[in-house]
Amino acid sequence: MQDRLHILEDLNMLYIRQMALSLEDTELQRKLDHEIRMREGACKLLAACSQREQALEATKSLLVCNSRILSYMGELQRRKEAQVLGKTGRRPSDSGPPAERSPCRGRVCISDLRIPLMWKDTEYFKNKGDLHRWAVFLLLQLGEHIQDTEMILVDRTLTDISFQSNVLFAEAGPDFELRLELYGACVEEEGALTGAPKRLATKLSSSLGRSSGRRVRASLDSAGGSGSSPILLPTPAVGGPRYHLLAHTTLTLAAVQDGFRTHDLTLASHEENPAWLPLYGSVCCRLAAQPLCMTQPTASGTLRVQQAGEMQNWAQVHGVLKGTNLFCYRRPEDADTGEEPLLTIAINKETRVRAGELDQAVGRPFTLSISNQYGDDEVTHTLQTESREALQSWMEALWQLFFDMSQWKQCCDEIMKIETPASRKPPQALAKQGSLYHEMAIEPLDDIAAVTDILTQREGARLETPPPWLAMFTDQPALPNPCSPASVAPAPAWTHTLPWGRPRTFSLDAVPPDHSPRARSVAPLPPQRSPRTRGLCSKGQPRTWLQSPV
Amino acid sequence: MSYIPGQPVTAVVQRVEIHKLRQGENLILGFSIGGGIDQDPSQNPFSEDKTDKVNGWDMTMVTHDQARKRLTKRSEEVVRLLVTRQSLQKAVQQSMLS
Repeated sequence: MQDRLHILEDLNMLYIRQMALSLEDTELQRKLDHEIRMREGACKLLAACSQREQALEATKSLLVCNSRILSYMGELQRRKEAQVLGKTGRRPSDSGPPAERSPCRGRVCISDLRIPLMWKDTEYFKNKGDLHRWAVFLLLQLGEHIQDTEMILVDRTLTDISFQSNVLFAEAGPDFELRLELYGACVEEEGALTGAPKRLATKLSSSLGRSSGRRVRASLDSAGGSGSSPILLPTPAVGGPRYHLLAHTTLTLAAVQDGFRTHDLTLASHEENPAWLPLYGSVCCRLAAQPLCMTQPTASGTLRVQQAGEMQNWAQVHGVLKGTNLFCYRRPEDADTGEEPLLTIAINKETRVRAGELDQAVGRPFTLSISNQYGDDEVTHTLQTESREALQSWMEALWQLFFDMSQWKQCCDEIMKIETPASRKPPQALAKQGSLYHEMAIEPLDDIAAVTDILTQREGARLETPPPWLAMFTDQPALPNPCSPASVAPAPAWTHTLPWGRPRTFSLDAVPPDHSPRARSVAPLPPQRSPRTRGLCSKGQPRTWLQSPV
Repeated sequence: MSYIPGQPVTAVVQRVEIHKLRQGENLILGFSIGGGIDQDPSQNPFSEDKTDKVNGWDMTMVTHDQARKRLTKRSEEVVRLLVTRQSLQKAVQQSMLS
């Protein structure tokens, strides 16, 4: 069986290579070759590696390579089909507008991806059972381009899966479909049963808890092979981790916004699946798009613009059409040096453009006028181009811009900021992800300034003076309150020991102390609380810092 | 400038809505609160979040006990908080710069 699989695999590779060659599509061919080599490397690594983390990363690379190969093959087949059917590009025409106008391309960037989880509350609090861990990552596809995020280890202490990656797709059209797929693999604890003899494994798995037994049996049955690859690209049957598709969704232009949005996820696996994760069912992200018409100039040239109020005085300017503005600079160099333009004319969905002779422009041919409505006023700018051809090319550029704006819709209101994704950091040390609470061990006698330092370092340097409300977070005790001006004792040295011992830092997975539902977990204090009146005239400075579960 | 309790303050806040969980017969939120106007703020080992409002009730001037009571009302299944934290300022700055 193995030999047959190998033969099939080789034949497939040959077919893929032949097809790429026959199309003489060097770009796609190069990419395919690259992925095939990467795939071979990943297979070898998977066979050779011994550590679980390496196996997870290698299997992930294999899955990504397979997906890419399949997608490039699909693209190749499409192009081959188009070539065979004799479809050519748009016929160039000398006169008249092109039969079909196509919208400009754009860059689409998805970032700040976060997938909320929904642990059963009994599991969360009682902390019973083994700490199941999963390895998850996202596969993102737009057109034939596939990108992946980093792999994250998930366990019960996390409330969300947060990916740090910024994924950028260039060359997207306004009709793009960005498919998001979440893959997960169950990470067994050390000494996993995948290597153990089958009989022992069955015996052990039946004596484990019901749900973990199910998982172990499922992972034994399905050893080897990555998640979704069909027989077309078989992988060596190594007893490595196996990724399953957990959820997916497709995002389009309607989902693009310069801010965070929540989208629904289609869950693809059920509880019986070994890699099943309790997903809440949505994904939050920031999906931004920058059409090229907004970031790059679409037309430029010499224009004469009628000065406001002066009928006969037309100034010569260098016009640059970019985004939703026509900038008129005094000199062509000003556009590059960042000088302020002489005049900026807004071009948006409401703008009206007319070409032709106007009565004011007696003796001035090749003019076009641009009108904008500002409230009740209509402001019209009249521009003269150098020649009939120049007028036509300006009009064409404007029509193309209007078309792009109608296609890219909300992306043309304002330029959305897209950060160039930084090069991927090497996979983090696979320690359990902790919260701030895990990092701080606080002795009662510690300098509270040290804690503030830790927090400041985490926050990073401030850019400017902090706003006043941040003073709420300083370690200065509040100013003496007005209702007891003179009799307030100076702030006591807070190095005294607290009546109930060291303040506990509650971490997310700590077992809450057993207590009756409404009782507080702090020791009773000497009655210091003033009766519940307005104002804070309690006796002396407060000396305590209580914590209670709610 | 220091923050004076009792004086009006303008701050960047975040709305948080939490549905209480059922543990046995009770509804719980699942975390702990600390502090209160009657507590010594210099002993606060964390300084991440401060709660301004709970379900509409003002929390800037409450004692620890009052705060706990407001959060643990049996009749309320959903708690809506207005929370402020230092890192919101950074978030606001970043979004203002971009």
